[in-house]
Amino acid sequence: MRLVAIGFMALLIAACGSSKKPDEKAFLESLDSAKTGPTIDEEVISSILQQIPSPLEISVLLKESGTKYNAGILNTSENLSKYNSNYKKALNLGVYGTDLGYTNIYEQNQDGLKYLTSIKSLADGLNIGQFFDIETIGRLATNSKNLDSLLLITTQNFNSINHYLQTQSRANLSVLLLIGGWVEAMQITCQVAAKDIKNKELQEKIGEQKIILEQIVLLLSFYKDDANMASLLKDMEELKGAFDKINITYTYKESTMEIVDGVAVIKDNSTTTINITEQDVEAIRTLTNSIRNKIIS
Amino acid sequence: MKKVLFILTFISLISVGTIDLNGQCNPDNFANACIPKLASGFNFLKSYKVDGEGGAKDKVEYSYVFTKGTQYMINLCANGAATDGIVVTLFDSGRNKVATSKINGQFITAIAYPCNATGIYYIQYTFDGSAGKCGGSALGFKR
Repeated sequence: MRLVAIGFMALLIAACGSSKKPDEKAFLESLDSAKTGPTIDEEVISSILQQIPSPLEISVLLKESGTKYNAGILNTSENLSKYNSNYKKALNLGVYGTDLGYTNIYEQNQDGLKYLTSIKSLADGLNIGQFFDIETIGRLATNSKNLDSLLLITTQNFNSINHYLQTQSRANLSVLLLIGGWVEAMQITCQVAAKDIKNKELQEKIGEQKIILEQIVLLLSFYKDDANMASLLKDMEELKGAFDKINITYTYKESTMEIVDGVAVIKDNSTTTINITEQDVEAIRTLTNSIRNKIIS
Repeated sequence: MKKVLFILTFISLISVGTIDLNGQCNPDNFANACIPKLASGFNFLKSYKVDGEGGAKDKVEYSYVFTKGTQYMINLCANGAATDGIVVTLFDSGRNKVATSKINGQFITAIAYPCNATGIYYIQYTFDGSAGKCGGSALGFKR
């Protein structure tokens, strides 16, 4: 009886100690960017950050619309050695995260594994590598039947990283991670749209990013005392200038609902109309390409 | 020995449970439990903690940019099979109600929302006769 009790206590202690506690000191010392905190409540920043949609949505849209896989539009994993500052590491962690999602959606596991290695390296460099379960992801990536689990675990890992950074009052890195991911998703969409200039759905997809860019500009404005963030903000404001020409009209109409198999299925009667021209798309593509090149070089 | 095994099993169940012996809410477990309950074909996006802090909060709110042409699913998990009085309501950026999980007095565990209008949406959780005021939720999408 006593042995069982001791064994149980040991189990409890082991369970409590198993949550990987990162080296906070090393983490804080490793930051070389945005040392000046934001002038706004971190809760406000977190609430804006959580709104930003997953880049995975864009990849799914491209695949579902019949767009062929193109590794050439992604950032090569060989660029990893260029990212030495924490500013660049955080941005490109986001970029590679989007690229990994894209390869996963297209079930290009060999390419995905290269990105996974780069992601792990960047995450380790930022002392957040403990959130990346590379062994499990690597194992899942070897079999295309594991796609759902692979997508789930990678999304969970990135969510955990963002949550951790925000609870550690280091939302600046979370902001960079999300911006890197968004710019890469924009780059992918713009490259595909450039080859299919009459594709109205893609044009609208680009146009509706205006809503997200407004949130990104707002987020960056909280960190404008930092030189790197201020420079990125300037670029994003220039991009916002191109988006300002796009008109999004929203019309609300009450929705209707019905219960189907225990699920409330909504019929959305509201609409948005996005007025965007081929010239707008081209201007956005050029600016996005320029920002993305600064990020990945 | 049987007694010991029973106690160990009981304590283990509590440790993975969601409202501990002190009545503290552990919404992470509910949120995680909700992820595999997303309907087939939906890709997981976010999990949300719904903690009414024992009644101190009457609502918990998150926001997300939903995009036209994408179908979203938001589900609810709480103690027991039903939603324990937790209701999820979706509002658009102008705070117009778009969807709710309480229909004709019935508490529904999931909402499927085929979005027709891109914008910022507010996902609001409220407690309608909820005993625990503690739960979780997951958001998924499909094209």
